[in-house]
Amino acid sequence: MSKNLPVLSGQHVVDPSLYRTLSKMKRGVCKALCLFYLTALFPLISLAQSNMVKGVVKDEKGLPMPGVSVGVKGTSTGIVTDNNGHFSLNLSGTGGDLVFSYIGYLKQEVNVKSGSTVTITLQPDNKNLSEVVVVGYGTQKKSDVTGSLSSVSAKDFKDQPVTRLDQALQGRASGVQVVNNSGAPGGDVKIRVRGSNSILGDNNPLYVIDGFIGGDFNNLNPDDIANIEILKDASSTAIYGSRGANGVVLVTTKRGNAQKPEITVSSLYSSSTVLKKYDLLNAADYATVVNERAAELGVDPTYTNDQIAGFKAKGGTNWQDQIFRTAPTQEYKIAASGGTAKSQYLVSLDYLNQKGIVLNSGYKRYAVRSNLNSQISDKLAVRFNISGMRRENLNNQSPVNAPVVQALGWAPTTPVRTAAGTYTISDPVGSIFQNPVALATDQTNVFNNTSANLIGGANYHFFKDLSLDVSFGVDYQNQQGEYYSGPTITNNIPTASRTSAELVNLQNTNTLNYIHTFNKVHSLNVTAVFEQQKYTSTMFNANATNLTFYNLGFDNLALSGSQSAGSSYSRSNLISYLGRVNYTYNDKYLLTVSVRRDGSSKFQPINQESTFPSVALGWKLSEEPFIKKLDIFDQLKLRGSWGLTGSQAISPYATLSTYLSDLFSAGMSFTSTGVTSGIVLGNAANPKLKWETTEAKDLGLDMTVLKGRLTFSADAYVKHTRDLLLSLPLPAFAGGGSIVSNVGRVKNSGIEFNLSGVPVSSGKFSWTSAFNISYQKNLVENIGSLKNIFSTNNAGAGLSSQPEFTIVAGQSLGSYWGLKYLGTWKPSEAAQAAKFGAKPGDSRYQDIDGDNAITGSDFQIIGNGIPKYSLGWNNTFTYGNLSLNVFFQGLLGFDKLDYSYGKTMTANPEARQATNVAIRDRYIPGVNETSNIPAFSATNKDYFQSTRFLEKGDFVRLKNINLSYDFPKGTIPNVGLKVFVGATNLFTITKYKGFDPESTNAVSGSDITSSIDNGAYPNSKTFTAGAIFKF
Amino acid sequence: MKKITLVFIALAFAGCKKSLIEDPRGQVVGTQALSTVAGLNAALTGAYKPLAVTWVSGFTTAAVDAVLMGSDDLTTHPASNKQDFREFDQYNVSNLNGRMVNIWNGCYKSIQGANNIINNYKSTVGDAAAINQILGEAYYLRALDYYWLIRLWGKIPLITSEVYDPAVLKISGTGPAEIYKMIESDLANAEKLMANKKTDDGRTSKGAASALLADVYLTEGGWPINDNSKFALAAAKAKEVIDNKALYGFDLVPDLNTFWQNTKAGTTTSEEVFSIHNCGTCNWFNSNTSTGASAMPLEENGWDDYFSEIRFFNDFPAGVRKNVTFHTVITKADGTKIPWQNTLVKHPYYQKFRAPDDGNINSPNSTLHLMRYAHVLLIYAEAQARTGVPNEQAYSSVNAIRTRAGLAPLSGLSSTDFINAVINERAWEFAGEYTRWFDIERLQILPAIIAKRDAAENPVIGTPKYYLPIPAAETQLDPNLGN
Repeated sequence: MSKNLPVLSGQHVVDPSLYRTLSKMKRGVCKALCLFYLTALFPLISLAQSNMVKGVVKDEKGLPMPGVSVGVKGTSTGIVTDNNGHFSLNLSGTGGDLVFSYIGYLKQEVNVKSGSTVTITLQPDNKNLSEVVVVGYGTQKKSDVTGSLSSVSAKDFKDQPVTRLDQALQGRASGVQVVNNSGAPGGDVKIRVRGSNSILGDNNPLYVIDGFIGGDFNNLNPDDIANIEILKDASSTAIYGSRGANGVVLVTTKRGNAQKPEITVSSLYSSSTVLKKYDLLNAADYATVVNERAAELGVDPTYTNDQIAGFKAKGGTNWQDQIFRTAPTQEYKIAASGGTAKSQYLVSLDYLNQKGIVLNSGYKRYAVRSNLNSQISDKLAVRFNISGMRRENLNNQSPVNAPVVQALGWAPTTPVRTAAGTYTISDPVGSIFQNPVALATDQTNVFNNTSANLIGGANYHFFKDLSLDVSFGVDYQNQQGEYYSGPTITNNIPTASRTSAELVNLQNTNTLNYIHTFNKVHSLNVTAVFEQQKYTSTMFNANATNLTFYNLGFDNLALSGSQSAGSSYSRSNLISYLGRVNYTYNDKYLLTVSVRRDGSSKFQPINQESTFPSVALGWKLSEEPFIKKLDIFDQLKLRGSWGLTGSQAISPYATLSTYLSDLFSAGMSFTSTGVTSGIVLGNAANPKLKWETTEAKDLGLDMTVLKGRLTFSADAYVKHTRDLLLSLPLPAFAGGGSIVSNVGRVKNSGIEFNLSGVPVSSGKFSWTSAFNISYQKNLVENIGSLKNIFSTNNAGAGLSSQPEFTIVAGQSLGSYWGLKYLGTWKPSEAAQAAKFGAKPGDSRYQDIDGDNAITGSDFQIIGNGIPKYSLGWNNTFTYGNLSLNVFFQGLLGFDKLDYSYGKTMTANPEARQATNVAIRDRYIPGVNETSNIPAFSATNKDYFQSTRFLEKGDFVRLKNINLSYDFPKGTIPNVGLKVFVGATNLFTITKYKGFDPESTNAVSGSDITSSIDNGAYPNSKTFTAGAIFKF
Repeated sequence: MKKITLVFIALAFAGCKKSLIEDPRGQVVGTQALSTVAGLNAALTGAYKPLAVTWVSGFTTAAVDAVLMGSDDLTTHPASNKQDFREFDQYNVSNLNGRMVNIWNGCYKSIQGANNIINNYKSTVGDAAAINQILGEAYYLRALDYYWLIRLWGKIPLITSEVYDPAVLKISGTGPAEIYKMIESDLANAEKLMANKKTDDGRTSKGAASALLADVYLTEGGWPINDNSKFALAAAKAKEVIDNKALYGFDLVPDLNTFWQNTKAGTTTSEEVFSIHNCGTCNWFNSNTSTGASAMPLEENGWDDYFSEIRFFNDFPAGVRKNVTFHTVITKADGTKIPWQNTLVKHPYYQKFRAPDDGNINSPNSTLHLMRYAHVLLIYAEAQARTGVPNEQAYSSVNAIRTRAGLAPLSGLSSTDFINAVINERAWEFAGEYTRWFDIERLQILPAIIAKRDAAENPVIGTPKYYLPIPAAETQLDPNLGN
């Protein structure tokens, strides 16, 4: 590592004159803050003019080190070295101990006398062994960690334009899969830590932000993140008990530092376009194909020759061009941080305005944060983090009748607007749904989330080894939805609605911590916690149909033909006790034991409480003399762990039988003028529900060699989830819906490798590279007495009435249920085809039961939607002040059910004609009898849930490429400047036929519908330029 | 510092253990929901609703026309996106068919709602007459649901509990004999409990229960029950309704054109015995999409879901009824008018099921008639004739229909000729109205109907069947359930 690399905020170099200016500024900032907070938290540094000590700090090569923090031990006096590595400060007496520290270097303490001049040489801390990582309810030296965790720190993504936490995680941590389900700005993202355990439950990891459990990463400005730890094995996650089974993402936000104030201003601008477009027929070709189809089916041609000639001459409508656009994004951020040795602050602002690549969609974000902490006395420290955010989503959802799908189904021969200038209401030839452009523009789907997260805490040391930490947190979310569908997409019955929800999550955590080393070899770290959490949500909505003045939209619901209202309430409580013991013998042998007891109101009293124990062992081989003798390993550690974690993956009230009362399910119109609300029995109740438990085992190895230049870690794990909570679908004749039950066992196993190092470091040039790859296998071990369990949802409803997924013992979760497509019947098979009522050119499917009919009994498992491999490769090439970051990311080993493509290739209930150019390669009797694309035929049956529309989703993409230049100091007086240009999703290697192999219709928490593409909002290709100023 | 210590300890244990008992505020939970008349009434609304969840379940989607397409009054597009419809027209229905589940699911969800009332009304506290009315409507709905299911599928699960029991996943189908017994008993209860007239346009009544019972008896006289003794019961029950028509509020609307205009507008008339009313202008999911675009030609922005078979149209006697029933001159987008023979599909369309001229074709308010007073008259005519020589009331009943249709009255026919004339009259009067297929089935005349099929119709595939396969989603969950 060269210190010439661009450095992190907080480690920045400023010349003395600027420092003085900033000192004034800091006072100004501070005064402003003092109005809002406690004056006592910000004592200012005052310098007396006596007992001067001077000196210079150099690195191991003898070069001066600017920015090193120099403090006087036992006082609040401190300063940083200047551009030339020089410092001078006053001692209160005739002498004292100076403490020199700099990130990546070993801390040094030197005793000095007043009036002396010293030269200090800092040694690099290659092994980073003293690095401290955040674990649940405390911190631990990284070298002492027995569990399996991945760390991502701000410096890992500083060279990339990251607008949300998931982008910081994507491809950077082994065992962590990040999939952008939706390419919409602010859209849905799926994050999995070591696969998915739960069928029913949310498989998203638990987010803990500055100790607040269950935070929402959407509410984080990524620039505020100092580091992210992903806890993966049970020994690290069991401390989160009933919510730890899916892994835990611990986010620590930045704090001010005790060195000097710093103001960072950054801005970026980017431009996005859709990754690719479908190759669809132009108007003339489409008309020709439609007529060919009519001819082959024995009906009159739809288009006259004159019309076709007209399309040839004048063209038609390219619906994809009509709805996709080049979308700009702007982001501006300001952060100020600083403080004294006792009290520090960080204040940040963020404004993001991101337009979507689909017409009239976008995302805006306003964020503010203030993190304060202060050491009030030797014994008492307090902290207070407050963050507020507003997120504004416009038209970011992607249902089946979204513009993206309809752009694929509408006939290119249909104009966007009629001769009168209004939108064409319906497509006479293709899609049966609404005009894509009207869907994009005559519809408003606004979702605004305003949130505030406050967490305050105090830490009190009773004596040196024993401390108590008490924290209180409030997470408040206010969600306002505003929906409007205008006359052109509602057949002139415009509708509007408003929703309003308030979610309040209260948390109190009390942690008692005891740290002591007995006889110099027995190190003990004991933690005991009592924690309680309460979630409440209330919601109401109001809907209006047949608006009297449609232009008033959702702002005047009373003026309408009919109105309805709804409201709901939900609450759950969690009360927990937990304890953990970390024991280290002789800094070589490590033991961690933890236990947590959770009680949840979601279950009936008999099943409310559950206990989650864990144990982990570590052996620091590198501390053993026989390994030290080899002089190869800077670090070598073996780890092993076992633990139980849980999932209360059910919504509140699942053990009770409740009724549905919404108008859709239960509102009957007994007259043509009104709707009477009623109640319909909802899902069947299961009062016997209990916790879902995951038992996990992990074996890991951490290794550092070549003086820290190469780091390698590997983990192998097995997780068994038992009493699996899942929704068993019930037959319609028994009332339909589903019943939540504890059924069966699922096994997840996998291996993960992380390799990082500095392959080249010579002179001004260096190349740092980090590669990770994970393999994960899922196996359903048993599902009780059932033969198979079908998913309860049907993403392709309307095209296919069967459940898309099934769960079968011996198979993986995410197994697609469908027919095996065998191509088309060929002329030589006419007799065989006839038995099925088909003829050559028609679709042929495997007839498993041999009854010469394609029925439900011919369905089988045809593929799997859960990726088996995920990989990331991050490279930074540095030459002087120039830095190039190249980041590849990939997901491999999964299938996608591609309804979107299927719809372009068939006449189906949603679109009456194929639109894809590939339809010209279909089977044509007497012309093309080898094609496996079925002929136009009245006897042909297209089944969407078949291998015909199942595709490999594998992809590797250049997720990010970014070139940045850090201007040499002094280029602009007193200002640090870095500029960058970059591109996201520049190219993708994939065979997938749709817009984007990554985007799906799945909801982030669930894995039941993974990898289905039914008009999912595609990801975009983005070019970005930006600048970062530091003062 | 001691003070601080104390404050800390106090803070840390401030909350302590609260109750983990759930507080399901805002939720309607368990049978206590039915403890009041209002609750029971809400549950009844919820028992009607599954019959009319647009696109999802019940009758208010063209699924109701799809499942009956084996009949000669309905057919569908030979091409386009009508694979699911064609399967019925061609007697080649896969258990994967997505249309029939609307009917299956709607009827069974309605049965569950009715069972809930029938099994729990005793816990309701309130006005006995109000409770009886609700209970009677529930019995009617359960009978109606089973009547549709048994005629379409032939062997079906018999469910009388609203509570899920895992044992239900192993039950096998129950045949017509037992199902009809239950339908009769439910309708007898419904007759006893309800008021004479319906309390709202889309609700049922004592008169409707008697009328449905007459229809059930007539069906039981034919296949598969083949119990001749039921004809007399059918005639008696129909006569009871006819004789009490003023009491029940039933009568023919003298002008067919007025009747269908009202139907399209959703305005109730005395001809409705039991009809599903819809409010598409309230919500899209309260609309009757079996009418409007579904019934209209592509040339008029329709979906071509269903229209009449050619032979049926050609045999249909001319007159005011034919004019009201069919839409034969199509207006293209450019304003030119073409006869049905020149449309893309070359079939006559239904006028009855179109949206009003200025109305919304995608989300119609139109009423869906499951039984009209005309049914009662023709049930009587046929049933009476099957018990002997057609009497004067049998003639007057059928002639009331014929006269309104612009046809000459019948007279002096033999029993057999009279019965055949009534069956034809039913086909024409109720063209497209969920009657003809069930007549074909109970009379077992499918081979003759197919023989008459115009060569231009979709070809028959395989051996024609009267019953539909049980949906695959159901047999996958309960493998004992096959028909």
